[in-house]
Amino acid sequence: MDRNKITKWLKSPGKMSNKYSLWAIYFCTGCGIIEIPPVITSRWDAERFGVIPVATPRQANLFMITGYVSVKTLRAIIRTYEQMPEPKYTVGFGSCPINGGMYWDSYNTIKHLDKYIPVDGWIAGCMPRPEAVFVAVTHLWTLIDKGMANGYVKYREKYTLYRNNQEKVLGELDWQPLYPTDGKDE
Amino acid sequence: MVIGIIHIIVSPVLALIIGIFFLGLSRKIMARIHWRYGPPLYQPVIDIIKLFSQKGVSHGFMFDLGVILSLTGCIVVILFIPFGALCPLSSSGGLLVILYLMLLAPLAMALSGGEGANPNISIGISRKLILSLGYEVPFLLILLTLMTHYKTISIVELVEIQQDTGWALFSLPLSLSGISYFLILPAIMGVRPFDIVSAPQEIASGLNAEYGSKYLGLITIEHGLSLFIGTALFVNLFLGGAHNPAIFFIKILLVFILVLFINAVFPRFRTEQAIKFLWGVPTLFAFLGLIMSLIFK
Repeated sequence: MDRNKITKWLKSPGKMSNKYSLWAIYFCTGCGIIEIPPVITSRWDAERFGVIPVATPRQANLFMITGYVSVKTLRAIIRTYEQMPEPKYTVGFGSCPINGGMYWDSYNTIKHLDKYIPVDGWIAGCMPRPEAVFVAVTHLWTLIDKGMANGYVKYREKYTLYRNNQEKVLGELDWQPLYPTDGKDE
Repeated sequence: MVIGIIHIIVSPVLALIIGIFFLGLSRKIMARIHWRYGPPLYQPVIDIIKLFSQKGVSHGFMFDLGVILSLTGCIVVILFIPFGALCPLSSSGGLLVILYLMLLAPLAMALSGGEGANPNISIGISRKLILSLGYEVPFLLILLTLMTHYKTISIVELVEIQQDTGWALFSLPLSLSGISYFLILPAIMGVRPFDIVSAPQEIASGLNAEYGSKYLGLITIEHGLSLFIGTALFVNLFLGGAHNPAIFFIKILLVFILVLFINAVFPRFRTEQAIKFLWGVPTLFAFLGLIMSLIFK
C-alpha cells in the first residue's frame, strides 16, 4: 500500500488523491443492484479503499455501469457522464456493457458501451462477484499511476466521433455539445 | 496587539484541523460500529485535496459567493468562541453575536443554492431553514437561561464563573438547559437523526446536489467547522470550558464521540417529525430551566 509514500504525494498530489478517493456513482440499469450493496456495506466494506457511493454525478469521479444498457438508459448515461467533473473514470460491470452478453441479439440494447462513452476498465462475468469490484479498483489504481486511465482525455479529443455515434442511436440529441465539434451539427 | 493578531490566525486554523480530524474520526468510528474496517483516519484530507484538484462547473456569481460567505460565517463564529485560554475576540459581543452569526451559514448556503436551479437543492434549502427554525427556539431559551442565571452576556466570563463554582451541567436549574442543549446538538451539527438537509437516499444529498469539485471541498471544510462549533459551544456553556487548550480538546472529543453514537444508532427523522421533536422535549426542558432559574435565584 503506497498510500503513505510522501514523495509521491508531493510530486503529484492531484493524481494520488484521485487514486485514493474514488467517489462512485453506481448506474444500476437492470442487474448489479444486488452486488453493489454488499460492496459498500459491512460485508465487503469499500470505504477502506476510499470508495464511497455518492448521490449526484457532480460529486462523483468513478462511474460504474452495471448490467445491460438499453437505448433509453444510454441517454441518461451520457448525460450523467458529461456532468461529472474531470478527471473521471468509467468502469463497466458485467458482460452486457462489454458485448451485449445474453442480450446480444436484442433490438433495443446497446452492444458496445465504449462506442458511446469512453470506458477505462471492464469487469467481465454474469454477474461478477462483489470482490471483483475491488480487483477493478486496485487495477484502476495501477492504470491511474501509469497515466493509462485517460478516458476523459480521449472523450475530449474525439468528441465528434462519440457524438456522431450517440446521434446514430438516439437520433437528434436535445442538449448542447460538451466540447466544440468540428463537424456538421455546428 | 501582535498576540491578538496571532490568536485571530491560530484559532480558525486549530478549529479547521480539529474539524477535519472529527470528520475522519466519525467515518472510522461509524465503520467500527458497523463492524467494518473503515477508511484511514486521514481520508478526509485526501478527499479535500482531490476535490480542490478537480475541474468543476459554476452556475453563476452568487453560486460562488454564497459558499465563501457561509464558510466566512463559520470562521467568524469561531473567533468568538473561547478555545481554552485562546479567545481572539473575547471583549466584544459574546453570546448575542454568536446567536446572530450562527444564522449566517445556513442563509448564505440558501443564497448560493438558489442559483443552482435544481429541485433537490430547493427542497434542501427549505429543510435547512426549517431545521434552523426548529433548533433556534430551544437554543434561544437556553442562552437566555444562562444569561439571566450568571448575569452576563460574555462567554469568557461564563467560563470563568464555571471554573470557580462548578460546571453548569451539574447545578440544578441549569442542568435542565444542559440536557436540552445536548438533545438539539445533533440538529446544530447536522448529523443523524437530523440529517434531513443532506439526505442522499431521498433528495440526492439535497443542498449539495449541484456542488462538485472545489465547491464541495469548501462545503466539507464548513461541515467540519460546524462540528467544531456545536461541540465547543456545549463545552463552553455547560462543561466549564478549560484554561488549557489540551483539556478543552479532550472535552470536545468526548462530547463529539457521544454525538457520534447517537448518529450511528438512530435513523433519520422526517422533516415534520424533527420539528415536532425539537419544539417538544428540548423546548420544554429549556423553558422549565428558565422558569426554575428565575424562581430559585
